[in-house]
Amino acid sequence: MQHHIENRIYHVEVLPPKQDSEKLEADLERFTNKFNRVMDSGYCCCITDNAMGNLAFQGTEMIEELELEPKPGLVMIHLNTFHTKDDLDRILESCKEMKIEQLLVISGDGSDRLPKLTPADVGATDVESVTSVELLRYIRREYPGVFELGVAFNPYEPEEHEFAKMERKIDAGASFIITQPVIDNHPVVDKLLEKYPDIPVAVEAWMSKNIGLLSEAVGYEVAEDPESFNPVETLKNLHRNYPRCGVYLSLLGFKKQYDRITGLWEQVQSEEVAS
Amino acid sequence: MKMVVCVKQVPGTHDAKIDPETKRIVREGIKAVMNPFDTYAVEEAVKIKEKSGGEVIVMTMGPPRAETVLREAISVGADAGILLSGRAFGGSDTWATSYALAKAIEKIGGVDLVLCGKQAIDGDTAQVGPGIAAQLGWAQATYVMEIPESNNGVITTRRMHEDGWDLCEITLPAVLTVVKDINQPRVPTLKGRLAAQKLDIPVWSPEDIGADEELIGLNGSPTRVVKTNPPPPRGAETLVLNGSPSESAGTLVRELRRRGLL
Repeated sequence: MQHHIENRIYHVEVLPPKQDSEKLEADLERFTNKFNRVMDSGYCCCITDNAMGNLAFQGTEMIEELELEPKPGLVMIHLNTFHTKDDLDRILESCKEMKIEQLLVISGDGSDRLPKLTPADVGATDVESVTSVELLRYIRREYPGVFELGVAFNPYEPEEHEFAKMERKIDAGASFIITQPVIDNHPVVDKLLEKYPDIPVAVEAWMSKNIGLLSEAVGYEVAEDPESFNPVETLKNLHRNYPRCGVYLSLLGFKKQYDRITGLWEQVQSEEVAS
Repeated sequence: MKMVVCVKQVPGTHDAKIDPETKRIVREGIKAVMNPFDTYAVEEAVKIKEKSGGEVIVMTMGPPRAETVLREAISVGADAGILLSGRAFGGSDTWATSYALAKAIEKIGGVDLVLCGKQAIDGDTAQVGPGIAAQLGWAQATYVMEIPESNNGVITTRRMHEDGWDLCEITLPAVLTVVKDINQPRVPTLKGRLAAQKLDIPVWSPEDIGADEELIGLNGSPTRVVKTNPPPPRGAETLVLNGSPSESAGTLVRELRRRGLL
C-alpha cells in the first residue's frame, strides 16, 4: 500500500455484475473493459464483494472465468464475512495462485441469500459472530506472509467505538486502512492519521455526482450544497488535505471522469509545490 | 438417484396487484424470481447428487419466460431443465398443475424422488407437492427439515411440525416438500451461470406429456376463485444486526440516524 501512495497509484473500485443481471454478457464485457483500463493505467483495481448486500459474482471468479490478467500488486480483492468456509478458502487459494496480495477485509453487508461464516469456521472461540477481526486473524494464521491485509475505517460511526474497533483490527494484523468517503476533509480522519502515523491510509473519494446517496448511507448531510457537488474538485481537495494518503475512488465514471483523473494526483502535487 | 425438482416463477415483490376481472395476480411488468422455498428443494437435490450420485432435473410449468428459473437452478447444480408450456395449461389450479407435472414425471421415467418447496409465496396453498404425490400414487412427506439418510430405496426424513419433529422412513419413489431449515442454498458461480445459459431447455406441450385436455387448464381445475385480496402491507420491518455487540450497537446508531430517529 505504501508503494501505491509513493507512486501515486489510485485505487479504483470496480463492481462485478450482479447475480440477477438480465444482460450478463454486456455486464461482463463492461467489467472486462474497466479492469483492463485500470491495469493499463497502472492503477490498482479494487473488486467489491457483494457490495451493500447485493448478490454479485466474486472478484476471483471474474478474473479466472474472463481470463483477465492481473498485474502484480495492482489488484485488491474485498473479502467480507458472508461466505461459506469452502468459498472463503477457495477465494483465498485463488488469490494466492493469482498472486493477488492485497485484500480489504470487511465485515460486510448480509442478505437473506448469503451464508455467514461461523466462529468455528475461522477457529474463533471467544465470539458469537464473525467480524472482520476474526477473519483477519484467520487469514493471518492460515496464510502467514502471503497477503497484505487492509481494513475499513468509518469516520461517520461513533468515534470512540470506531477507534476501539480499529485497535482490534490492527492487533489482528491489518496493515493498511481505507476510509469511508470523505468530502474535502474530516476531523476524525485527521485523528486516525495522528494515531496511526506508520500505517498507510487511503481516503475514499466519492466520485458520483449524487452526493445524496452518500448522505443517505452514512446518515449525515455530508455536503453543504448537494447541487453544486463537484467530485473532481473534491478529489483535488483530498490530495491537498491528505498529501501522505492514498486515494480510493468509488463510483468513478469510466466514460467521462476517468480521463479527467488521469495524472490529476501529479498535477495537484506540482501545484502545491509551486505555491 | 434420479430426482425431479418442481419449481415455480413468482413475482419478486411484496406489492402484488390482483386483476379484478380474473382474480389472478398481475404478473406483467413485475420482475419474476424463483419461489424462495423452491431454492431449498433445488439445493437439497444437488446435495444428494453430490453425496450419492444421480441426476437432478428441474421442471416448471408456465410461459416461455419461466425458463429463467430453470436456468437459475441449473446454474447451481441441476443437470437439466424441462419447461411445460402451452395455452392449454393456462388457468390451471393446483390440482390441474399437479396432474400436468405428474404426467411429465411419468414421461421422464425412472424418477426416484420429487422435491418441491413447501409452498409458493404467491398462492401459499402448499398443495402442488402433495397433489403430485396423489396423482402419481407415491408416498409423500411434507415440511421436511432434514434428510439424514437415503439408501437402498428408502429415504429417512425429519418432518417439522408445531410440536417438534418426527422421523419418517419412506420407500421410494416419493415426493418431499421442504422447509427453509433444511439447508443454505448456494449462490451461483459465474461458471455455473454461463454454462446454464448455453444449455438447451426442452419445452413440452400437453401433447408431449400425453395430458388429457379435460384435466388441465381451466377445464381440469375444480377450484373457482371467488375473491382474492393482496396481503395487508407489512407494518413492521426486522433488521438483523450482525457482528459483535459493540459493532451491532454502532450499526444500530447509524441506522437510527439514517431514518432520522436520532
